Amino acid sequence: MTLTEDDVIRILKLVEQSTFDELHLETGEIKLVVRKKGCGTVVVDTQTAATGTTPIPSAPAREEGTPVSKPGQRKGKKTKTVSQQEGLLPIKAPLLGTVYRRPSPETPHYVDVGSLVKEDDTVCLIEVMKVFTAVKAGISGRIAEVLVETGEMVEYGQPLFRVEPEA
Amino acid sequence: MMGAISRVLIANRGEIAVRIIKACKALGVESVLTVSDADRESMAARLADRVVCIGPPRPQESYLKADTIVAAARGTASQAIHPGYGFLAEHPELSRLCAEHEVTFIGPPEHCLREMGNKLLARRMVASYGIPVIPGSEKVRHIEEALDVAGKIGYPILLKAAAGGGGRGIKIVTKPAELQTTFETAAAEARAAFADDALYMEKYIPLARHIEVQVLGDSHGNVTHLGERDCSVQRRYQKVIEESPAPSLPERLREEIRTAAVTIAQNIGYQSAGTVEFILDKDTEKFYFLEMNTRVQVEHPVTEMVTGVDIVQEQIRIAAGEPLSFKQSEVVLTGHAIECRLTAEAPERDFAPSPGRLAKWAVPKGTGIRIDTHCYQGYAVPPYYDSLLAKVITFGKDRSQAVDRMKYALSNIVVKGVDTVVPFLLFVLVQPEFVKGGVHTKWLEGLLEHSYDKKQGPGARGRGPGRKQ
Repeated sequence: MTLTEDDVIRILKLVEQSTFDELHLETGEIKLVVRKKGCGTVVVDTQTAATGTTPIPSAPAREEGTPVSKPGQRKGKKTKTVSQQEGLLPIKAPLLGTVYRRPSPETPHYVDVGSLVKEDDTVCLIEVMKVFTAVKAGISGRIAEVLVETGEMVEYGQPLFRVEPEA
Repeated sequence: MMGAISRVLIANRGEIAVRIIKACKALGVESVLTVSDADRESMAARLADRVVCIGPPRPQESYLKADTIVAAARGTASQAIHPGYGFLAEHPELSRLCAEHEVTFIGPPEHCLREMGNKLLARRMVASYGIPVIPGSEKVRHIEEALDVAGKIGYPILLKAAAGGGGRGIKIVTKPAELQTTFETAAAEARAAFADDALYMEKYIPLARHIEVQVLGDSHGNVTHLGERDCSVQRRYQKVIEESPAPSLPERLREEIRTAAVTIAQNIGYQSAGTVEFILDKDTEKFYFLEMNTRVQVEHPVTEMVTGVDIVQEQIRIAAGEPLSFKQSEVVLTGHAIECRLTAEAPERDFAPSPGRLAKWAVPKGTGIRIDTHCYQGYAVPPYYDSLLAKVITFGKDRSQAVDRMKYALSNIVVKGVDTVVPFLLFVLVQPEFVKGGVHTKWLEGLLEHSYDKKQGPGARGRGPGRKQ
């Protein structure tokens, strides 16, 4: 199934008139994320992103039962230093805990590769002892890499996503 | 090794984290270390099998976050948490969360933390076992009550924060006229430091020695002691030099104190390593229970040197449900051991902390010298934590050999980049009263007042009190 430009415009109108802030639509290779918050609505067609230049990295191996050596990453937290390759910026975990990429098992991910994010957008949740903390993007741009999966324990300061910053 | 525990999460930093990792390695247990953002490059982080960053440098956001630490243990499939000393080691909250999430807390049962953590309750319990406690009061709410109690106990008295401990929140009052002001400031300070302004009062014993007994209990009901330590060389209630066995102590008294410690530990159902602290009145040779520390102690190495027992390994074994690896009858104290706390403090600036990068760091090796440290050349001592750089421990066939080796060890330590207390420690070691042994707990402060010129360094006598510059 494909989405025509007309389809997208119809969807946008429906969302605009609705009380929802956000719409995630996923069919086959196509993913559509629409948000009313921030500066206007945003449409993303991940077909290009998925087949484009940015490869989707696999999440770092982190099986329980195997000791993993030292975390390599080490940089000041607030200074958004441009990562070595491709000018991508990391979104780092503000605390240690378990990652949830969606608010409930039935709902879509907050963000995926290709999603456009604004600074205040939630990109995932981190849970410690049943207390959930929303992780904000902190930067505007396009999600280029997803480095973690739901259920994974992340450390303080561990990169969760890499973002191609807004030009 | 050890069925129940194959991976331990270490919720601490500095030299004690290194010490616990070494014990884990000796037992064939994997170590997972929690670090703050400031400790990613620490020696402990290099030695641990795995490192987990739990938060920013400030302890409140990292090493004091019990929920995060237990989540880290769960997330790394660690079966047990060793809290070390300080931070959360004596907080019942960590122990409780551990129990709730099926992680073994390497320490005593939670009720021991609660009971001994409440200094007034601990006094009452210990008194009920027939062990002497210092004459004192329950909580004192008003100045009228304080005046009344002080009149009954007799001056001088000590005002202590009920939620305090470890020498913090203590004030001396020598006469009734001082009581009102001191009472008010002590209550305000207790509120600020412990979020609880409750105070209690104790008779002040002017010439006292600090004698403490190392105990170990297992989950099979065995409780043993590993002899005593003398920690009377103190500055502002903080220990500076510790040794074992206690010098010039009548054998009868030594035995009584050790037995009292075991009685207390048995009665409260103690498990793991603990220390029962006593005050020994030098004039009357009477001893009194002071408090119990429900964790491994900074100065545990002096006991290890004279007994040959690895206290940290025993803690892990006990937590795994194993019985103690020795019997009381097998505990024989051999020789003498001394520990000096080598801190990054500037004696000439009233012992102000001196963080910085260690441009040079070299410690001597030799017979009878043990140095527990997390420092290495190039290490940046962070400003967020305590100033302990190393514990220098020496062992000898007798006290004088241990002291000689300590002088050799301290003289051969090379530190550049931060100020340390090495010159001050060397000055203390040659004082006739220290050489004789058995000083009281105010001796060091008196020495500082009268003979140690902090600007000129050791030996510059006759320049007047160096305390206030």
